[in-house]
Amino acid sequence: MAGLSLKHIYKVYPNGTKAVNDFNMEIKDKEFIVFVGPSGCGKSTTLRMIAGLEDISAGELMIGDLVVNDMEPKDRDIAMVFQNYALYPHMTVFENIAFGLRIRKLPKEEINRRVTEAAEILGITEYLGKKPKEMSGGQRQRVSLGRAIVREPKVMLLDEPLSNLDAKLRTQMRSEISKLHAKLGTTFIYVTHDQVEAMTMGTRIVVMKNGFVQQIDTPKNLYNYPGNKFVAGFIGTPQMNFFEGTLLKKGENVEIKFEYTDSAITVPYSKLYKIRPSYLNGEKKVYIGLRCEAISLDPKAVKTSKAVIKVRLSHKEELGNQTLVYGDINMDGDGYTESSTRIIIDAKGETDVEAGKVVEAALDLDKIHFFDKENEDCILPRIPEYNYIDCEVKDGNLLFLGSEIKLPAAMQCENCKGELLIPTDAVTLGNDAEVDVVDCENINGTNLVSFEIAGRRMYAVCDKEVKKGKTKLAFDLKKFSIISEGNTVVESMPQVMTFNGKLLKEKITEEVTENGKTKKKKVVKFSLGIEDAKFDAPEDISQKLISAIGVKHVFDEALRYDCGPYDLKFADEGISAEAVGLADYGKEKFVICKVGEHTVYVSSETPVTGACHIVPDIGKLSIVQCKMDIRIV
Amino acid sequence: MAKKFRSKKAVERGTNVVVYVVLTIISIVWLFPFFYLILQSLRAEPGAVTPYFWPKQWTFDNYIKLFTDTSTYNFPRWYGTTILIALVVTVIQTFIVLITSYALSRLRFKMRKPLMNLMLILGMFPGFMSMTAIYFLLKLIGLTQEMGIVGLILVYTASSCMGYYICKGFFDTIPKSLDEAARIDGASRHTVFIKIILPLSKPIIIYTILTAFMAPWGDYMFASLMAFGDQKYFNVAVGLKYMLQRETIYQYFTRFCAASVIVSIPITALFFWLQKYYVEGVTGGSVKG
Repeated sequence: MAGLSLKHIYKVYPNGTKAVNDFNMEIKDKEFIVFVGPSGCGKSTTLRMIAGLEDISAGELMIGDLVVNDMEPKDRDIAMVFQNYALYPHMTVFENIAFGLRIRKLPKEEINRRVTEAAEILGITEYLGKKPKEMSGGQRQRVSLGRAIVREPKVMLLDEPLSNLDAKLRTQMRSEISKLHAKLGTTFIYVTHDQVEAMTMGTRIVVMKNGFVQQIDTPKNLYNYPGNKFVAGFIGTPQMNFFEGTLLKKGENVEIKFEYTDSAITVPYSKLYKIRPSYLNGEKKVYIGLRCEAISLDPKAVKTSKAVIKVRLSHKEELGNQTLVYGDINMDGDGYTESSTRIIIDAKGETDVEAGKVVEAALDLDKIHFFDKENEDCILPRIPEYNYIDCEVKDGNLLFLGSEIKLPAAMQCENCKGELLIPTDAVTLGNDAEVDVVDCENINGTNLVSFEIAGRRMYAVCDKEVKKGKTKLAFDLKKFSIISEGNTVVESMPQVMTFNGKLLKEKITEEVTENGKTKKKKVVKFSLGIEDAKFDAPEDISQKLISAIGVKHVFDEALRYDCGPYDLKFADEGISAEAVGLADYGKEKFVICKVGEHTVYVSSETPVTGACHIVPDIGKLSIVQCKMDIRIV
Repeated sequence: MAKKFRSKKAVERGTNVVVYVVLTIISIVWLFPFFYLILQSLRAEPGAVTPYFWPKQWTFDNYIKLFTDTSTYNFPRWYGTTILIALVVTVIQTFIVLITSYALSRLRFKMRKPLMNLMLILGMFPGFMSMTAIYFLLKLIGLTQEMGIVGLILVYTASSCMGYYICKGFFDTIPKSLDEAARIDGASRHTVFIKIILPLSKPIIIYTILTAFMAPWGDYMFASLMAFGDQKYFNVAVGLKYMLQRETIYQYFTRFCAASVIVSIPITALFFWLQKYYVEGVTGGSVKG
């Protein structure tokens, strides 16, 4: 019984293939986590890294409160169920289940008790004396489950355990595994490529593709709020309908125009507040996503709906409980090929489908999704990154939504009209302005506060829950940026400061006193070379670097050091830099320094000029290997 | 045109008849020399060759004298030496071959592929190439003649790991997920080897034992070099050849035949004892194929 913590986990094969990229997740005790994704997406590799069957290239894996990166599988207190069962063919079912207990040298009575108990839970008591080859696939997988649960492990790992079973048995075993999870109360991690298994069993699902985590969320949230087009298309059968189109803001409404047809619908802008305004210019291409049940052919719905498009029907699929009607919103489309005009509708009993007939379909605007056409990310996220507000800079003052703020020295610019980008995390509880909080939603542990200023809805991410009503908020001006006519007039202050460097090794002679005698001993000392300076490398950092890159290359590999502006300070010795300016944000002041090709901001109350030295807080540095872009520390 | 109809069964029967006739002929050709050897070993009249096939008088004397009359040729001693060498070599060689194959099949280490190729290529050179050199080296450390048994054991086992190829091929067919399952169950590498891999590898262990036993049992060249003409240190192959010298062949030919039959007994026995483990399908039911 334990939670797991995966921090910046990478798997890189010797030939340079990155199977898993920067996997981050906190798994709580008793959760049922499902890794899902197409073949080769890295889900099994991640599971095998947790099991200890694969080395972890970089990152930190914790089971409970132990770092287990270098631990043998047998010491990790985990159990695993394999897709191909992996039963020991020369042993009976009893021996198979008892094997792990025998190796741990448990007393005989205890082994008997536990095996009988496990066999009872799984209903295989009568087969205990048989050999695996005398059993069917479902029974063998039960034995394999028995072998896992009898050890009472901290974590159960299941690698596509049902993929080799036929459809009916799979459904049955699916509910049995769910039951087992409820009964044992152990943390389960389950790998599958079947989204139905994922949706029905998991408390949380990790969707992966090409080694990258796409989204981690509950089944319901994945279905309702997919983070990108891949997740939207992967979760749910039939697949979500995707249309290409553009969005154009017209006053308080937004017109959604579908490509390859004349169809267009109008949506009130209030539903699309979270969208980046740059997508609302009527030119930028987006994908419009709608699930089949969000489209209705019901004449009553069509009559009352404001969003109606024309569909040319082609054929239908009767599934018994559901009738899927296929059609095309392009009047020349055939409705069979998967295109960006093909539409699948859940007809809900409406079965009068005539090929070629043109009907009207009502769209449910509350369930509409938008994705960027290039990077396929959701552009209507649950937690928006920025608030976009029209603004004006006039004589050093920033005017937006009827309020006026004096711009600090660092943000001064010429008079212009433009767009103000306020990151949602730049708004915190404070004393700058009084606003009307409309709502406070908890989304996966993050509090999203919606508030209104001068009738305009805005969002903020807060660490505390905020009650509805009047609240005072503060703005972090250094995160603001202003865009005018396509140019960034005021840039937000970078949050990550970057340095280049290497890991250095030197042999030094140390005097060691042993048994009263002073001896000279050669010691290898590691240090972090950051730009032109050298800092002692703490033991754990140098060890992580060496194990991630390998002794052979670790001292040649270019490294990148990242840290925040508050982790830097001035000192007499350190990285040589040249102070080139001062960024005055009113409440806070930063000295702008040039270090090599980089510009860094150092938090400092007193102004510094000319040549100076910077010292970073080694404990807060994050170190990235440049060539492969792997975050090691 | 209607084709003449022949039932499937009739066709099968016809093919079987042909197959069995051919097999019978082949086995007669194969077994005939051995049959002749047994007949000769039971012949009472002396002489190397007789112009007739069936012995005129039958006797067991050849077998008895082989073990009682040890004045000229000490057959029991040769036999004992050879059995001792063969058994020790079998144990050591089987052990080495199995662990080498396991390591090469399951562990991934640097130079694994080059090492495998190197062993394969080295194994292709005939053993007698370096024989004289090895003999002088062994003579230097005193492992010839009276210490010849130790020397021979050393020579036979030294290159055992080169026979890894077939055994590794077999280990490769045992699913890796079995190893992984056992390791997660708490087994260390050598527990996996002993408790999981070995019980599943019976056929290949038998094969390894048989080949390991046969090589020293029938070796002539190295054994004769090591004995260096002193018949006290002969093994059976060298000794039997020694029996057939021109001066003694007339008197000892039938006894030689008897000795040959006795020499074939251990191998035959070993094979009959071990062949029951050559069962197919030992891995059945472990994983889904």
